[in-house]
Amino acid sequence: MGRTIHITVNGMTEEVPERATLAWLIEHFKEEDPALIVEHNGRFVYLHQYSATTVTENDRVEFIHPDFGG
Amino acid sequence: MDGNPFLTEEQKQRYQRQLSIPEISVDGQVRLRNARVMIVGLGGLGSVSSFYLAAAGVGCLRIVDHDTVGLNNLNRQILHSTLDLNRPKIESAAEKLQRLNPECLLEPVRARIGEDNGLDLAEGCDLVLDATDNPATRHVLNRISLARRIPLLYGGINGWNGTATTFVPGETGCFACLFPSKDLKTPATGVPALGAAAGVIGSIQSVEAVRILVGMKPALANRLVKFQGNSIQFRTVHVGRDPACAQCGPSGGD
Repeated sequence: MGRTIHITVNGMTEEVPERATLAWLIEHFKEEDPALIVEHNGRFVYLHQYSATTVTENDRVEFIHPDFGG
Repeated sequence: MDGNPFLTEEQKQRYQRQLSIPEISVDGQVRLRNARVMIVGLGGLGSVSSFYLAAAGVGCLRIVDHDTVGLNNLNRQILHSTLDLNRPKIESAAEKLQRLNPECLLEPVRARIGEDNGLDLAEGCDLVLDATDNPATRHVLNRISLARRIPLLYGGINGWNGTATTFVPGETGCFACLFPSKDLKTPATGVPALGAAAGVIGSIQSVEAVRILVGMKPALANRLVKFQGNSIQFRTVHVGRDPACAQCGPSGGD
């Protein structure tokens, strides 16, 4: 996969390609969910920014699946 | 409602344990008495929030639900009992809430909330408490919140887990900022739900409602809390307004 970096995904250290996008990570970690909430280094990322946001060494990414039952 | 700044002797006794909370005291209690909250849904979440808000002395609860009580509701919808099977939920709920606090004015509405009736249903309400069970109705509540400029307290559950946040028009993002997709569906057979998870999220929404009504800052503004019940952990995510939001952004109705 070429050069790789280490990032933290949901608290676990993961090795991913350099300049991976959030869209790539979502697919790679099978987190697809139209309601997915993504936090990148403590900052909420909007759906329309997933393809343009890349990660760098030691970044933290959190995927959260919200709940809609009642 | 009334401009009376005093509490009766009975109210002082009933609310004694919360009157001694500094942020509430007599002033906050009078604010609660003057408040009207719309609770949409009287299922797992609404059972808890309506009960706590009636108990806390919220002056008026407009409770909205179209459904009747079913046997598969009773693992989590603790306002209703086996004796209430097949009764309209608003009727069962109003009876229990009135018994709990006869001073709470109940405005039961048996309706399915939608674009056609939502705005009128929220007239005169200080906030909307979301106790619904699907994203489509939450988008309706979001548009009501934005049009009426009143806070929307979102809560949802799934299995062991739950999520809650508060949307304040003009101050925070809205439901559509976080969940712009129109493709959010819940299974026809219903979402799995542990009653106690609904209890946690319904309680969080109740705490937030009391905070807002007594004049405190919403604790969950721009902050989404996720409860993971199978490991009993809370996670918080900072969220915000999407400038490109179709609902509250420049092209939206705000």
